[in-house]
Formats: sequence, structure tokens, C-alpha cells
Amino acid sequence: MTPSHHNPPAPLLRLCRINAGSCNGCDVELAVTASVSRFDVGSLGCGYTEDPAEADIVIITGPLTARVKEKVLHHYAEVPRPKVTVLVGICPISGGVFRDSYAVSGPVDRYLAVDVNIPGCPPHPKAIVAGIAEAAALWRARHDSAPLSQPAVTPEDRDNGATGPVNVRGRMRFNAAACVGCRMCEYVCAGGAIRFDEADNGLTFTLWHNSCALCGLCSHYCPTKALSATGEWHMAHRQEEKYRLVEQGVVPLVPCSGCGTPMLPVAAELLKIGYRGISRETERLKTLCTACRQKESIGGLRR
Amino acid sequence: MMEAQENIAAALGRWTGEEVAVAWRLDRKGVATGWCRLRDAANILPAARAMANLEGRLSMVTAYLPTAAPRTGIREIAYHFDLDGATLTIGIQLPAEGAQVPSITPVFRNADWNEREFMELYDIRVTGHPDPRRLFLDESIEPAAFERLIPYSTFSNGASGKALWERVMADNARKETP
Amino acid sequence: MSTKTITLGPSQLALEEPMYFRVQTEGEIVAGLDVMAGHVHRGMEHLVMKRNLYQNITLLERLCSLCSNSHPSTFCTAVEEIAAIRIPPRAEYLRTIADEIKRISSHLFNCAVIAHITGRGPLFKQAMEIREIMQDTKESIYGNRMDLAANCIGGVRCDLTPESAGYLAKQMELMKAPLDELFRVYTTDPAIRERSEGVGVLSRQDAAGYAVVGPVARASGIGYDVRKKSPYGAYDRLSFTTVVEQAGDVMARIMVRLREAREAVSIIDQCLADLPDGPVWADTLPEIPAGEAIAKSEAPRGELVYYLNTDGTDMPVRLKWRVPSYMNWDALKTMLHGEHVADIPLIVNSIDPCISCTDR
Repeated sequence: MTPSHHNPPAPLLRLCRINAGSCNGCDVELAVTASVSRFDVGSLGCGYTEDPAEADIVIITGPLTARVKEKVLHHYAEVPRPKVTVLVGICPISGGVFRDSYAVSGPVDRYLAVDVNIPGCPPHPKAIVAGIAEAAALWRARHDSAPLSQPAVTPEDRDNGATGPVNVRGRMRFNAAACVGCRMCEYVCAGGAIRFDEADNGLTFTLWHNSCALCGLCSHYCPTKALSATGEWHMAHRQEEKYRLVEQGVVPLVPCSGCGTPMLPVAAELLKIGYRGISRETERLKTLCTACRQKESIGGLRR
Repeated sequence: MMEAQENIAAALGRWTGEEVAVAWRLDRKGVATGWCRLRDAANILPAARAMANLEGRLSMVTAYLPTAAPRTGIREIAYHFDLDGATLTIGIQLPAEGAQVPSITPVFRNADWNEREFMELYDIRVTGHPDPRRLFLDESIEPAAFERLIPYSTFSNGASGKALWERVMADNARKETP
Repeated sequence: MSTKTITLGPSQLALEEPMYFRVQTEGEIVAGLDVMAGHVHRGMEHLVMKRNLYQNITLLERLCSLCSNSHPSTFCTAVEEIAAIRIPPRAEYLRTIADEIKRISSHLFNCAVIAHITGRGPLFKQAMEIREIMQDTKESIYGNRMDLAANCIGGVRCDLTPESAGYLAKQMELMKAPLDELFRVYTTDPAIRERSEGVGVLSRQDAAGYAVVGPVARASGIGYDVRKKSPYGAYDRLSFTTVVEQAGDVMARIMVRLREAREAVSIIDQCLADLPDGPVWADTLPEIPAGEAIAKSEAPRGELVYYLNTDGTDMPVRLKWRVPSYMNWDALKTMLHGEHVADIPLIVNSIDPCISCTDR
């Protein structure tokens, strides 16, 4: 390309959204990125088109219902190569809360090559813009074109936007020391995002962010608040990272001070719920397994 | 309200020829729900006419398989009518096999979609329906979807979830865990 | 007469959902309509019976993100009815606040989309910017701009601190003048008036025949509002008007929504003024016995009905709901008949259709 005496403007990257049967949450927030100035994709050098044949980057929302699958694949095929594919929301990434329904064909990566995932339910427009920025950088790298004539706006540069007490429910964090293994979190999770595994060394907790609806029901029902929301909304990642986007922790087993049997330790947070104060006696009792405690208090095991 | 409630039971009796007992409940704000059952499922059509005569509106229709259905061989359909803020639910029972019920579209136009919907989910034939085509279910899904899926509700198919979790655990096993 | 298939949505950004119609036309005039539903059918009635009552709170919220709070709150009400749980008075007010916040946001989105369809780009952006006040409010108070996660069985999950309440009051103050201004603009703008007055008419008689509800019914003269007819939450203690118009055209529906949004602001103001002290959650993991119940609410699009049948376990025997948009689709046949093909997107959006709600 011959240099001219002023930088030519970078080509406008065109985004096309395909709705694969979503609840319209992600789509409403995508409409925000086309109309609200503080979240406008225009600042990334991007603009929306309604014609898949003109798109550079294709954005897909929804879990890919059986009914809409063929139409989605048809529209997708109209987007010229090389294209960059972005999935918005946990639905296209993992099926989200609709996984394992008879009417859902997804996840989307079963049928087409995905580049960038933006989890959330729905993700904040800031998170969507950050993900699109990633997709735009990827597109430009693939096309080896000139860099943007203006610096790309990073998510951190943007004004937070919310004018009130900041309170975005971001990714969940697990504190193994407070976990008592009651599995209430797994029980109430609609997205099937939580899993416990028992091993010799302890109880492993795994939360897969790509299936997490960010509803916080898990932390609400956790008796010891071992789960909490962090406020971290930036979770866009490349497809290669998809299965590694987890929060993990191990509640290590400890030997009973009486008989040596491995047991889950009693979290301090649990004692605080039950007792006004923790005495030396309580401290000692909590190192015993349930069998030893029964023997000590009633002289034998009750089955 | 009591007077109106008596009228409703009486009207149902007149139109269907059955003696219909309606149990009424009031919630804390005074909102009423009424519950009754017809002995003869075909009487849902005259019952619908009774509702229309009382200026009722068809609110919703719920077809379902009670938990005991495999044993009793009986399925149910609950028709919910709005009577100026109160909801009257009229239940009918049908055999699990070869169930047939008259369409109430001659009385309530909006029964159209309600009936199309439960026809594709359950093995129930609605006689006299003006347009008995599929509504929401894709052609690739076998008809009467809920007949097969719901009795196995305690057994989660979960094929997709299982495969995904296998990948998650495998990809993270190599990581150092604290 | 010819037939063509019209799609609205899958790639048109401002029309957020995929809808497919088979339209019979005579020239450029609509003679008949067939709605091809099911593109957003995710099998939710089946899913909710494979999930426990707690999981269903989150699952139901994701039926549709615009009506999202109405689903879990009405569902929880049905559970509470079966279990004879009385939610604390403060929780009643907080549920009302959440519902009204969603009503304003949803109505504004619809008005914005209508501006987009009538080619009024700057007005589309203006409505979306005003709506951001509500989005910020939802984010700050609940932690999410669309799915609030405000409800639990027995009440609400989060309390309003004095700081949040003060913030909410200020945000409501910020909404008043813009909503009044939007009403003035939409009702006087010549382009919008020309395209919406006398267009897509649903007569009162037809509205009753199709059993439509919500703003569509109220724009056709049927003054049915669940908040008055079958009160729930704090509505039995609040003072507000049921907004009714008579013309039954696209403009009447716009007017109903904008006026309802303004009423919602004053409802929230009243809730904040009257908010009683006390807990926000009946503090138990309640046992839900066998039983059945009906719960109703006035979602942004109209009457939402839930039927729940339980058998004493933590999974429903049957959970069914009927969304307000359900009846509107058939009513479109009459609204579109005799209208210009070019007006289809506008008339369809004037009913504020919610496909994800309808298809489930």
C-alpha cells in the first residue's frame, strides 16, 4: 500500500447479529451498543449491518433452537470469509440455562467455528464492547491491515457509566475455607454451572463461568457465604480458553483428631451461625468427626 | 362475592346438566380462585358457553399428566377462565390412551392457539379444531413430546451437559489447584 | 393474490427477536396472515419440570429479558400461595418497585424501536439514552441491567439501603421531564402521526373477541389491569390510574405505554415514601406441600397467569404460564388486514410482541 500524506481511515468493520432463539436480553444490550453513545461500537471503528453478506464480524445470541438452526446456519454461511465469529451470552457458548432441552441444538460451536466468547446473562454492554474489540483486533490480524487511525478504546478507558452505587454482579468467587460441602449452591444453580467432585485429598468445587447466569442464587443460599460476586464483568475470551474459564477450589480433608478418619473441616463461618462465641471446648469438638462426637456426647453411635 | 359464586356454580349446572361443586379460595388480598371438576369431559363445551354467558374470558388451558397417570391411566386438562379478576379453573379427566376433547373455539376464539399447543405436546385429539397444525414444535421433534419426556423427568438426559463437563474437568485437571 | 414469507428480526438489530410470517397480499395490501411461531421455543415448560423450585426462579427469569422480573415474582407468588407463606410487607413494596422499574424500561424500549421503524433515527437514540437512566438504576440496585435476580421464595433477595433508596428517588426525578417530553414528541411528530394514526386498528369488540390484555387491550378501550382487578404486592395500597385510550390504533398503543411509564414513576415514588420497615424475606427454606395455585400479575405486556401444581417434592408436577403476548398474535390478523405491506413491521411492533415469552 503506497503511503499517502495523511493516514487513510481504517476500514469500518461491519457487525451482523444473528438471533438463534435468545431471550432477547443479549439482543437488547446489543441494540444499546448501536444507539447509546457511551457504549457505542462506533468508537471501535465498527458499525452494524443488517445484511450478512456485508458483514466482517458475525455475532450470535441464543442457544440455537432446533427450529431456528437451519436458518441461522444459512445466514451464517452468507457472511463472507474470512470472518470472525463472536458468541454473546452463555446460551450460544454452552446452552446456558436451556442446556439439555429437547428443543435446543446448541452449543453453537458444534456447527461452526467460533473465535470469541462473551459470557454473561446478559453481559454488560461494556463487556460486549470489550469482546467486540477483541474480535476486531483478531479480524485485523487475519487481514494484516493497517492499524486503527485512532487508538482503540480499552474497556478500562471507558467511563463506568452507572451513576449510582456500583454494583455489577460479575463473576463468582469461591472461598474454600468457608465451604462446608452442603452443595446448596449446586442444588439451586439453574445453569448447571457448579460441580463438586470428591477425591482423596478433599472436595473439589468447580464453577464454569461459561454456564453461569450470574444470578447469585448460589451465594444467596450459601449458609457460610463461601460464594460471592466479584463485580468483574470483563470475561470475553478466545474460543481456545472456553473450557478453562473456571473458578476452582479444594476443601481439603483433615484427619479427625479422635480416630484419624478424613473429614471435611468445620468452617469458622458455620460456627458463627450456630454459636454466640467460640469456646476452647467448641474448638476441640470441631476437630472431631461426627462419629467421635456422638461417642463423646451420648456414649455410642446412633444409626 | 358469595352470591356471585353461587351463581357461577348454578350456571355451570344449568349449561352442562351436571351438578358442579366449586371450591373457592380467597387470598390475603381478596383475590378469588375457584376450582371444580366436570364428570364428563365433553361437557367442557357447554361449560365454556356458561363462562361466556357470565362474560368470562378464557385465560389459559393446562394439559398435564398427573404423577399417578402411569398407574391410573388418567390425564387431565385444566381450563382457566377469568371472571372479572377471579380465576375459575374447570378440570376434566381423560383417558391416557385415545383422549379426545371438543374444541371450545366456537365460544372462545383464543382457544385456538391453546388447543394447538397441547395437541402437539400430548396425545390428545381436539375434535372440531379449525386449524390443527403444529404451533411451536419444530417438525424434527416427534409429536406428543411430553408423553415421552415427562414420565422420565427424574432421569435427566443431560447428554450435552455431560459432554461439556467432561471437557471442563479434563482441561482443568492439568492446572495446579491450590 | 400472492403469498410471501416475511421475516422480521434475525439480523435486524433493532428488531430484537426472530419472527416469521406468511402474508397473503393483494398487490401491496395484506389480505391474510399466518404466524410461524416456535423459533425461540426452548422447551421451557419441560425444563421447569426437570428443575427444582429454586432453579426455576432463575430459569423463568430468562423466558424474556424485558418482562424478566414478572416471571419469577409471579412464580414465587404461586409457590407462596401453596405453602401459605406470607411475604413481609417490605418485600411486597420491593417487588412492586422491581416490577415498575421493568415496566418503564420495557415500554421505553418499545417506543425506541417504533421510532427506529418510522425512520426517526435521532429519536430512537434519544429514547434509548433516556432508557439508560433505568438501566443504570437496575445495575446499581440489583447488579444486572436486565435480569434483576430480585426474587426468592418468601420475598426478595436484596434490601434497599437508605443510600440506594435515595439514589432511586433521584433517578425517578430524572425520568419525569424526559418522559413528558417523549410523550409530547411522539404525539405531535408529523411523521409518527401519519404512520400511526388510524393504522393497525383493533376495535374494542375484536379486542374482546381475541381476549387480548395489557396495553393492546387498554388502547382499544378495555380497561383491564391486573393490579386493580386482582391486586398483589403493594398495589392494593397504592394510588394510580389505569391508562385507557379508545382509538385502538398504533398511536393509541404508543400513548398508553408512555403514560403508563410516567404512572410507574409515581408508583415508585409512593413505594419509597410508604416503604415499611422489617425483613425482606420470610427467613426459611420452606416446605412446599402438595397443592395447586393460580397467580397473576400485570407484566409490561399485560396479564401474566401462572398455574402451579405440586406434589410435596421440590419439583413441580406441572408449571404452566400464559404470557400476555400470547393472544396478540392472532389479533394481528385483524390489525394487519387491509393494511399496507410496508406497515407490517410498525404494526407488529406496536403490539410490543414478545416472541421469547410466547414460544418459551
